[in-house]
Amino acid sequence: MNLLRIEFRKILPYKTVWVILAIYVVLMVLVLNASSGITINGRQLGADAFQLPGVWQRLSFLASFFNLLLGILIIVLVSDEYSFRTLRQQVIDGLSRVEIVLAKFYVILAVAAFSTIFLLLLGLYFSLLYSTDHSVDAFFSQIDHLSYYFVQAVAYMALAMLFAFLIKKSGLAIIAFIAYAKIVEPLVHLRIPDTVDKYMPMKALGSLTPMPGQDLIDQFTTPTEQLTPPWAAVAGLFYIGLFLFLSYSLLKVRDL
Amino acid sequence: MAEVLDINSLSKRYAAIQAVNQLSVKVEQGSIYGLLGPNGSGKTTTLGMVLDVIKTTAGTYSWFGQPSSRETKRRVGALLETPNFYPYLTAQKNLEVIADIKGADKANVNRVLQLVGLESRKSSSFKGFSLGMKQRLALAATLLNDPEVLVLDEPTNGLDPEGIAEVRELILRIASEGKTIILASHLLDEVEKVCTHVAVLQRGQLKAEGPVGAILSAKDQILISAPNLPIVTEVLQRLPFIEAFKPEKDTVVLTLKDGYSSTDVNKAMFEAGIVLSQLVVRRKSLEAQFLEIIKSQS
Ligand SMILES: Nc1ncnc2c1ncn2[C@@H]1O[C@H](COP(=O)(O)OP(=O)(O)OP(=O)(O)O)[C@@H](O)[C@H]1O
Ligand SMILES: [Mg+2]
Repeated sequence: MNLLRIEFRKILPYKTVWVILAIYVVLMVLVLNASSGITINGRQLGADAFQLPGVWQRLSFLASFFNLLLGILIIVLVSDEYSFRTLRQQVIDGLSRVEIVLAKFYVILAVAAFSTIFLLLLGLYFSLLYSTDHSVDAFFSQIDHLSYYFVQAVAYMALAMLFAFLIKKSGLAIIAFIAYAKIVEPLVHLRIPDTVDKYMPMKALGSLTPMPGQDLIDQFTTPTEQLTPPWAAVAGLFYIGLFLFLSYSLLKVRDL
Repeated sequence: MAEVLDINSLSKRYAAIQAVNQLSVKVEQGSIYGLLGPNGSGKTTTLGMVLDVIKTTAGTYSWFGQPSSRETKRRVGALLETPNFYPYLTAQKNLEVIADIKGADKANVNRVLQLVGLESRKSSSFKGFSLGMKQRLALAATLLNDPEVLVLDEPTNGLDPEGIAEVRELILRIASEGKTIILASHLLDEVEKVCTHVAVLQRGQLKAEGPVGAILSAKDQILISAPNLPIVTEVLQRLPFIEAFKPEKDTVVLTLKDGYSSTDVNKAMFEAGIVLSQLVVRRKSLEAQFLEIIKSQS
């Protein structure tokens, strides 16, 4: 935990971190507010969207779009260590390469915990406001979606960290990260069968927060094959391990 | 004396450049060891390798007789090439981060800031520092956990004359506490003033190595000859102001301690009943010697 304390010493006074987190919070609240205000056929959408227990799945699905922002935060933090040459200094001062990666992984866990708790608070607030069912059972029966979201956020940030260690420059790493997540892998998905691509990182991670109402759509069209969230979580954990290992390998084989 | 650092045929190759070539040196405890060489001769690369941030292509090194580890790193304070800090953190916060990494006592932060004369600026952020102040902060960071060995890569880079003098004095003071200092510099005069031992590098190759007095000497040399050289050497051995002498074919080359001149030699010889047939003062600049070393064997 000493590693996390060192990271907090560096991060807490850093304005950029707070700006990115503030953007994340503001965007989430704006989107939620907007969606609750929409009325369709005279009915407020908010009333539907924030019904318990479905609110947890909807919130997680919505939050999954903002994982990119969290990834960018991690890329900034890692590439800074290169541009300030503090990575080098920390190894000189006694940190091992494993500790360098672990320290950033702890930051990732902390950020994911922050955003998951934030989702929990949002869910509680909006469902108390709009949900008609306030039983304890309704609150907690589907709250496991938040834990799937947590795994997803961690995995996204672990991938972002790998890109940052690989590319070192924040601008390029952010572009590569977004291009991979949003363009390259989706293009690959088009060319290979669902039975295979469901295991690919972006798709598997996406399956952690399935689109609300997907089962309904699937009844009318040929269902796209997806991992169920528990299996996707297994895949997610595997990818987290892989990204950490690859980050470490990069540090091990290259000059700092 | 125990060896602090043992470098054994260390090499580093970048794509096209052999930055360090089969370098072997030993640094003894308590010495101030200078790594001297022109720009691009491989000083930083060598230090980077022994500090575990640049991969070696071949060769080995050991600290205190052990492979590099967290324990050996704790006993070494190092400044490599540039001061590396978080620009948005204050001097004090930056040092606290490093103190945490090194497991040093927080109380040391203020002590080292005072030592390098930055105490009054401890709450300013690093990015507002002048180059000299950054360099001082880096020096402070190396001293945080009171290490046995200091590794300093161009520590006077960017300092004003006063700062340079202070840093040199600081180095000598630290060394006088029995610590070992490894200093890379392209400044001949710096190495000559500060170091006890020197290794001269050129294009990654070791050109000369040994005590500074033997390798570099800014002192004038005096050549004397007399009909009977053996008696001359006998007299020289007794004279207190002779620093070193070396008999050659039909002359003796000698250097004197500070404050003495060729007149004293002449007088002493005359009093001993020896008449010199030749007495020549050879002024040898450091630069000339340095070029001589660099040119030899290349
Ligand atoms: N990352 C790198 N990639 C390629 N070549 C490099 C790299 N780092 C150093 N070199 C080359 O290795 C050689 C030695 O460089 P090094 O920095 O060790 O020199 P130096 O003795 O510290 O010089 P200076 O006095 O300028 O600091 C140089 O020719 C340099 O161009
Ligand atoms: Mg250098």
